[in-house]
Amino acid sequence: MSEHSKIIEIEVLRYNPETDKVPSPQVFEVPFTDDMSVLQGIQYIKDHLDGSLSFRWSCRMAICGSCGMMINGVPHLSCETFLRDYYPARVRVEALNHFPIERDLVINMEGFIKKLESIQPYIIPKEPRTLAQGEYLQTPEELNRYEQFSSCINCMLCYAACPQFGLNPEFIGPAATALLHRYNVDTRDGAKEERMELVHSEEGVFHCTAVGYCSEVCPKHVDPANAVNQNKTNSAMDYFLRFISPKGGAK
Amino acid sequence: METYKADVVIVGGGGAGLRAAIAVAEFDPTLRIALVSKVYPMRSHTVAAEGGSAGVKLPTDKFDYHFNDTVTGGDWLCEQDVVEYFVSQCPEELTQLEHWGCPWSRTPDGHVNVRAFGGMKIERTWFAADKTGFHMLHTLFQTSIKYPSIKRFDEHFCVDLVVADGRTQGVVTIEIASGELTLIEARSVVIATGGAGRVFRENTNGGVVTGDGMALAYRHGVPLRDMEFVQYHPTCMPGTGLLFTEACRGEGGFLVNKDGYRYLQDYGLGPAEPTPRNKAMELGPRDRLSQAFWYEQQKGRTIEGPHGSVVHLDLRHLGEAKLRERLPQIYELAEQFLGVDPAHAPIPVRPAVHYTMGGILVDGKCAAPLPGLFAAGECSSVGIHGANRLGSNSLSELCVFGKVAGVEAARHAKSVAPGNSANLLKQAQAVEQRVVGLVRKSGGSERIATLRREMAQTMEDGCGIYRLAESMQKTCDKLDELKLRFKNVHIEDKSSVWNTEWLLAIELEYQLDVAQAMAYSALNRRESRGAHQRLDGYEARDDINFLKHSQAHYVADGAPRIDYGPVKITKSQPGTRAYGAAGEQAERERNASHV
Amino acid sequence: MNKRRPYVRPMDGWWRKNPYFVEYMIHESTALFVAAYAAVLLFGLLRLSQGEAAWNAWLNTLGSSWFILFHLAALLAISYHTYTWFKIMPRTMPPVVIGGERLPAWAITGTGLAAAAAACLGLLAIVWGMAR
Repeated sequence: MSEHSKIIEIEVLRYNPETDKVPSPQVFEVPFTDDMSVLQGIQYIKDHLDGSLSFRWSCRMAICGSCGMMINGVPHLSCETFLRDYYPARVRVEALNHFPIERDLVINMEGFIKKLESIQPYIIPKEPRTLAQGEYLQTPEELNRYEQFSSCINCMLCYAACPQFGLNPEFIGPAATALLHRYNVDTRDGAKEERMELVHSEEGVFHCTAVGYCSEVCPKHVDPANAVNQNKTNSAMDYFLRFISPKGGAK
Repeated sequence: METYKADVVIVGGGGAGLRAAIAVAEFDPTLRIALVSKVYPMRSHTVAAEGGSAGVKLPTDKFDYHFNDTVTGGDWLCEQDVVEYFVSQCPEELTQLEHWGCPWSRTPDGHVNVRAFGGMKIERTWFAADKTGFHMLHTLFQTSIKYPSIKRFDEHFCVDLVVADGRTQGVVTIEIASGELTLIEARSVVIATGGAGRVFRENTNGGVVTGDGMALAYRHGVPLRDMEFVQYHPTCMPGTGLLFTEACRGEGGFLVNKDGYRYLQDYGLGPAEPTPRNKAMELGPRDRLSQAFWYEQQKGRTIEGPHGSVVHLDLRHLGEAKLRERLPQIYELAEQFLGVDPAHAPIPVRPAVHYTMGGILVDGKCAAPLPGLFAAGECSSVGIHGANRLGSNSLSELCVFGKVAGVEAARHAKSVAPGNSANLLKQAQAVEQRVVGLVRKSGGSERIATLRREMAQTMEDGCGIYRLAESMQKTCDKLDELKLRFKNVHIEDKSSVWNTEWLLAIELEYQLDVAQAMAYSALNRRESRGAHQRLDGYEARDDINFLKHSQAHYVADGAPRIDYGPVKITKSQPGTRAYGAAGEQAERERNASHV
Repeated sequence: MNKRRPYVRPMDGWWRKNPYFVEYMIHESTALFVAAYAAVLLFGLLRLSQGEAAWNAWLNTLGSSWFILFHLAALLAISYHTYTWFKIMPRTMPPVVIGGERLPAWAITGTGLAAAAAACLGLLAIVWGMAR
């Protein structure tokens, strides 16, 4: 890092379950250069000002999905959000909304992982194929149909942007639905019907009221709102189809 | 302390660890698998690999070509029997990933597409846009969910192996969320914890890449092999070291100096042609390209920026549409982090530490000399990378050797009897005392960040692209000093829940051990080979004295002991390592002499 | 003993904390005007079924300044509702692929708004034709 010429105030919402009843803000003064990310600002605090500050991070390049935080009330990956865009005002950093805080900027993501596991996020082959037979053929157009939904990095910014998830943590939510949709529209997969059970269910897509903010904050252009809403249509179709077709619709 | 009884425990939830877990589950569904990872598996650093994964695919390609590229690329320091096995397995493993759902980029007729990569004679790098590692990791993670016998210990930090009766019998972990320790008993342990690039200052690696598993094995007497070979990737972001994939050049990008001149033609990589030619110019191997940068810098032909000298990675002639399709992540990284639109301006780049070629000594079956211990992926030295890894071989390595490690660990677990639980618990409690003692002790005065910064700086100073005995000696001395100072480390945070400062201290101790193995191995290798280049009278490769693997042995409170092991040569005798037109000439001569 | 004690933040007043949510609430509340206007029309239908006097009385009521104000407010609210409804439409429908290219969001929103405008104009033309 070159010359530190400017100082920015970073306000962090702190919480230590062993000493605090409720979270409270703490302000740090951090020297910064224009190419410094918010993550680098927080790392500076940990390295030089307060070693007890806890947060998750790893890749620094917006692909591992670890470092999601509320930055001035908006969910962002802190590694690709830059301090210069807030200076000279104070920047406020807080753990991702709608998740329980384990400590400081660390949220509890066990619920999200359970959801991810519940959607059968793997290919259940339509037609089994041996390795000797080589790869399944899939045209670029067919790949295009699901590629966007396979780009989710599980950063959970969309959950922090979804008030319906905040109000009802059981809601399967944007990212898990996007992943479910990703497998449903993959030409290699044959388990759409099984996954639709979850789509129709109590925790399913009809919790969504099309706020649309999830897609707005998604750093990877996954557009999870689109996956959720396409599946509302799919679910409704299934419901009506079962009256006219013995094969269509939910069981 | 809680105890969990498994049959196989895998430490590390990246590509190799997940592949190993799946291999065990498929080998025998009754085996109980514990998959321990200090981060949720999809955060592992496999996620950041960009360009692709090598495997023979085109009808014009052959296993022999892939073998030759790999062995030549590794400057003949490869285990050739292992490379032969490796190249023969790559296509099958990559096809397996396809069956599991990996969104490989496709040709118009629906087959998996391949792209050119540095040092590879023929296009054989399978890719998923420029997020190949991301897609492979998520495919493996999501597929692993299918197997009920895999019990994940997410965000559990491994602090030690449990070794009893001369064999590995489990691990001790900290549950990060609570700070509580667990003993995981297992008859086989697979280490798949990735590399150690964070011991250097400017690197492409994520914060998690701290050499944990290497240090764990090392401290239990397993040698670390070929640790002096550390790969500098030639095209990284100045300051942060973030990676611009080699695929930028595979797709046709140019590297130019401050005069806009494609300088690689001055370093035996030419001739310069307008379109990419395999194994020439920008598609030369990484060690050569990073070294060429160093010379350009010496000649004053680089561009000076706020974070040191840079050259330009010019992608403009590829056009926005192709860049968005083939290199979408690179496009966004350049825009967001550098404010550069690569369709309209060149990207400033410089070399940064990227990959640890060496690692835990294992045989072709991924077995370490310590019974019951296996290793796979970047943390291991199975012998395929030699003195310089070719880009896109490591993602394939994860799959091929992740599977081997899993199967072999499963076999081993079935062949030995469970250990004495009471004895193992006693050992684990001793580990707990030591680890908890680190956080409980008071009176230390050394800041973790200071020690870490000094370590990373001295590694860069002494073990960079070019090396000198004097500076390497300084680095060794500095590391000895830092290890002493570490004993006086201060941890402010005394709490149990999510005490990351405590974990950072443990990681730093791992890193210091690994850094020592690297620096001492480098100092002792008095020749230049692959990524290890000296300027102090040892500029040439010396096959008579150094066509052998270095092995660093841990010595408590002292410098590592370095000795050497043989290199397995089967069908490729060491020859001249040449690229560009000279390389093609050399290959013609080789072929002629074989007839 | 496990020292974890995850803290759950309250959701009170969530919609005031982000401008995006405020806009969402406005958008949602304009739906009330759609409902109210539908009720007015249905009531008119009921009055029509009750004979000419009832119908004329209803028409008379509509002419009051309060009702004109209500209509103006409803027009504004429903216009805003239409705009935001089409704005979010690209997020709610399956991708439209034309000639291998995916239709961009602005084209979907634009088409929707244009269709809404055309429908309004068409309706006005019919009413104008009947009134002549």
